[in-house]
Amino acid sequence: MARYAMVIDLDRCTGCRACMEACKVENNTPTATFWMYVFRFEEGEYPNTHIWFMPRPCMHCDNAPCVKVCPVGARYKREDGLVATDWDRCIGCRYCEVACPYGVNFFNWKEPSKNYYLDWRDKDLSPITNGAVPPYRNPDLEKPYGKERRRTAGGGRLKGVIEKCTFCVHRVEKGLQPACVANCPLFALHFGDLDDPNSTVSQLLRRKPSFRLLEELGTRPRVYYVGGHPPDTEARQIEEVKARV
Amino acid sequence: MKISRRTFLKTSAVAGGGLLASRFLFGGLETLVAGQPPSVPATEEWVPTTCWIGKQDCGILARRINGRVVKFVGHPAHPRNRGTLCPKGVAQIMALYDPNRVKAPLIRTNEKGVPGKWRQATWDEALTLVGQKIREVRAKDPRLLLWQKGRSKSKAFYDEAFVKASGATKLHHGAFCSDAGYRASEYTVGISGVLNPDFRYTRYLLAWGWNLTNAGGNQLCWITWPQQLVQAKERGMKVVAIDPRLRGVGHFADEWLPIRPATDLALALTLCHLLIAQGTIDREYLAKYTNAPFLVKEDGFFLKREGKEQVWDLRSNAPRPYDAAGIDPALEGTFVVDGMRVKPAFQVFQEHVAQYTPEWAAEVCGVPAEAIQRVARELGENAHIGSTIVVDGVSLPYRPVAIMAYHMAQQELGFQAVRAMLTVMMLLGAIGAVGGQRIDVGPWKIHENFEKLDQIEIKDPPYNIYLKDSKFFPINSNNSAIVAKVMQNPEKYGVNYTPEVLIVHMSNPLVAFASQPDFMEAYKKFKFVVVIDPWLSKTADLFADVVLPAATIEKYEGPLAATDQYTDATALRVPPMKPLFQSRGDIEIYLDLCEKAGILYGKGGYLDHLNEALKLKDPYKLPLDRKPTVREIFDRWAKSEGIPEGVAYFEKNGVKVKGPVPATKFYGYATDPPFGGIRHRFYGESLLRYREEMRKRGVAEIYWRDYTPFPTWRKPTMEGSPPEYDLYLISYKLIEFKQSRSSQIPLLAELAPRQWLEINPKTARARGINDGDEVWVESHNAITGETRKVRVVARYRESIRPDTVGMPHHYGEVARHPWTRGQGPTPNSLFFTGEGYVANTADQSFHVKVRVYK
Repeated sequence: MARYAMVIDLDRCTGCRACMEACKVENNTPTATFWMYVFRFEEGEYPNTHIWFMPRPCMHCDNAPCVKVCPVGARYKREDGLVATDWDRCIGCRYCEVACPYGVNFFNWKEPSKNYYLDWRDKDLSPITNGAVPPYRNPDLEKPYGKERRRTAGGGRLKGVIEKCTFCVHRVEKGLQPACVANCPLFALHFGDLDDPNSTVSQLLRRKPSFRLLEELGTRPRVYYVGGHPPDTEARQIEEVKARV
Repeated sequence: MKISRRTFLKTSAVAGGGLLASRFLFGGLETLVAGQPPSVPATEEWVPTTCWIGKQDCGILARRINGRVVKFVGHPAHPRNRGTLCPKGVAQIMALYDPNRVKAPLIRTNEKGVPGKWRQATWDEALTLVGQKIREVRAKDPRLLLWQKGRSKSKAFYDEAFVKASGATKLHHGAFCSDAGYRASEYTVGISGVLNPDFRYTRYLLAWGWNLTNAGGNQLCWITWPQQLVQAKERGMKVVAIDPRLRGVGHFADEWLPIRPATDLALALTLCHLLIAQGTIDREYLAKYTNAPFLVKEDGFFLKREGKEQVWDLRSNAPRPYDAAGIDPALEGTFVVDGMRVKPAFQVFQEHVAQYTPEWAAEVCGVPAEAIQRVARELGENAHIGSTIVVDGVSLPYRPVAIMAYHMAQQELGFQAVRAMLTVMMLLGAIGAVGGQRIDVGPWKIHENFEKLDQIEIKDPPYNIYLKDSKFFPINSNNSAIVAKVMQNPEKYGVNYTPEVLIVHMSNPLVAFASQPDFMEAYKKFKFVVVIDPWLSKTADLFADVVLPAATIEKYEGPLAATDQYTDATALRVPPMKPLFQSRGDIEIYLDLCEKAGILYGKGGYLDHLNEALKLKDPYKLPLDRKPTVREIFDRWAKSEGIPEGVAYFEKNGVKVKGPVPATKFYGYATDPPFGGIRHRFYGESLLRYREEMRKRGVAEIYWRDYTPFPTWRKPTMEGSPPEYDLYLISYKLIEFKQSRSSQIPLLAELAPRQWLEINPKTARARGINDGDEVWVESHNAITGETRKVRVVARYRESIRPDTVGMPHHYGEVARHPWTRGQGPTPNSLFFTGEGYVANTADQSFHVKVRVYK
């Protein structure tokens, strides 16, 4: 069994947010929902200013606070390390959202058809898209995954359930990279098996010093950063995107 | 804690109750998955095509499930994007399906100048109407027909064949992009482009106004350049950002010179001064490949004998023709020839730049003198003058220093600023050297403008609508804002007609081009306007008589260059779906329109010009008496290019990679003869000739003052605004948006929903402005005294000069779209055009003095 992790090279990130968009289209996430988010930071005072960027997906923690607090086992940790959400079970209590120190959970407040940017029930469009909402709906999200054939958050836009990054379990199980990683124009995002010493992630972690976010909380994230420093109180977010949590 | 399978079993016991609770709490269940009948087995296909948003036409694979595109991903074999896409490329899937597109041809039913009221028409009705108007205006006077294009995606079909067949006057977007830099480079070194490095070898880069984390660079778009930059950085290249704001270069800057806006020319001249002072100049290059040794008389013109320019030969100690064999031309000194005092152009330059000291530049540019000196020293050290390197088996000069500059060229002194930047690189011998300065991507190709811009014959009025060959702008980048100015007052500019019919194709001049109020006034004068666009642009909403709905990505277009500068490749845009709604591919629209206008068939018709523009060889030439399908045209083109499968090759593969560009074609030094056999114009003698002719014809100084043989500093006109206009407004692009193609795409508009003003907190606080406050930004025209103002939200940034404020472009370009409502003003509503706000080449400036208040 693989031990999956993501390594993000901050030296390479241009803050373009293509990963956010690749995630949104692949996972069909609704308005204001960003399973992947890219911070744009400014530090220091003119002219000693520093600008840097930091992508932040779900950390897929080994000691995941969200899994521990879920009263119904809807939030679960898979053997390969992925933390997923069985939306069939989720009762919408939002404990996971409160417990997570990274702010990566998104609650579905609205019915999905009313929360996809535009009104897609257009009479000229429906014959072309077969009524799909959104019109680029990805059929892969509808299936169960893993040995247990459980639901993941992908596709489960039931009003009143939580969702978050799945590391694109539907792609990973096909041997593909998560959508954000596959699309990164600067190859700043990497995904692979930590148990494989030849994987890009293992090599990068050997070559460069790394850190994880809020490591002191003991969450043991599966997302590593190289080529930068953790954000501290000096970092001011600029060009922030309003997300609906 | 690790979750084991046992834990799962335990927790699942409560799941049933949980589901009930969820139903109780939230009422009706709606999900996109549950409850729907199982779908038919999915057919998955991958259709290769080409991005339609950005300028560099990245390769795409469209994932299609049961005929419906569900995602665009980067084409792994495309040299420009290698399997990746920028946010716009990914998000354009929403543009494809957007029900707010123009779905059918529209005919206006109300007056112009106000938001349109429309009735749907059939294609036949709309095309017949437009065709009739084209016929009428061509019969009356072809000059009355204008054709305006944004970024062209199929030049052969639009800019060439249609313009030639219709006889329309072509207007385009270059004068708002970087054309001042194009003209400077074409004139100076004969290559068409602005400035970019040879990233495989460059070790020291001046990122001069390069918005590398948001915009493209010279010739290519955003993905290719940052990919090459990051590799070069990892190899150890140093990057110096020269920019009033740091956000553009971001953390890729090793050093930041926060230059005062519009003083780039001053800094470049000072770098020249310092390079000469420290002796880091490539004398061999200057003597052999430039006109720096040409002898200049005291009147500024070259000394000529029997029509030929002379140099001072140090061997014979006598004047000799510059191209005589076995000579050693002097770069310095004063000589007397035929009773006249003459100096090599280089000597004149040395004296010219003596005034531009680092202390002077520190004052003008607002950056420390020591920083400027350090950059000059590092340029000199990193240039390795005299060294060579072997590439592809050829030994070539190695000068791994370069400048990346692009949109910064659009400023009042833009033409001369880029000439001065080229001069920096000429002094270092870096033009066309390995690791040195490049101007175009791909082979080192001499552009016809090298000669043309040197041989302009200034004519007497009447002039054409954009003042070609005029006494006002002899070198002329064809600026639509100047056209708007001329249309408001033709007599002033010696123009004796007002155009009547305008075809706007994928362009939105009212919002996307600077000096919005001028466009508003001028476009009222057109009698008939047709807009070809997938969207109801602001221009269409206010001024179109007819809107013809074009498809987005779902059409054939091309041929499209696919080079990343090192690899030669060609691509096509292939429809991944049929055009949505009633839209049609643009080429199909042109074929039909030409037929209706009576200019499709026969000699001199659209098809005839297409044969020429696509360079179709027999037997693949289009017959001139039959309307082909668009696919058939591309099939003939591909076969004519030697691809036996024809268009099917591209339908299967998307891109044809031809292979690496060999060093002997890539490097200016390596071509045979070197640099295509031209002498680089270190000294612009013809600029002096134009200046004298302009003066003779009595035009005002403001037009001729920048026609100087060497770039010469003066204060920009905007500095004449009253002191209360104490801030510089600059503008920039965001990675989220591209021209008029994307601010309405909800996925992108969501990322950057609203216009803002970047302002240094120190500046803001002094005015009582808090982060997030709404403020007035009021611009002032130093020539006319006119003011313009907009209301916008202020955002604190420590990464911008305290005397500068900035606003991004491309907001609010599509009318009546739910996601563009309230996006806020374009900075183009604050910029001015005309005297003082265009370059001597008629290129638009994007600088103005403003005041900011609550």
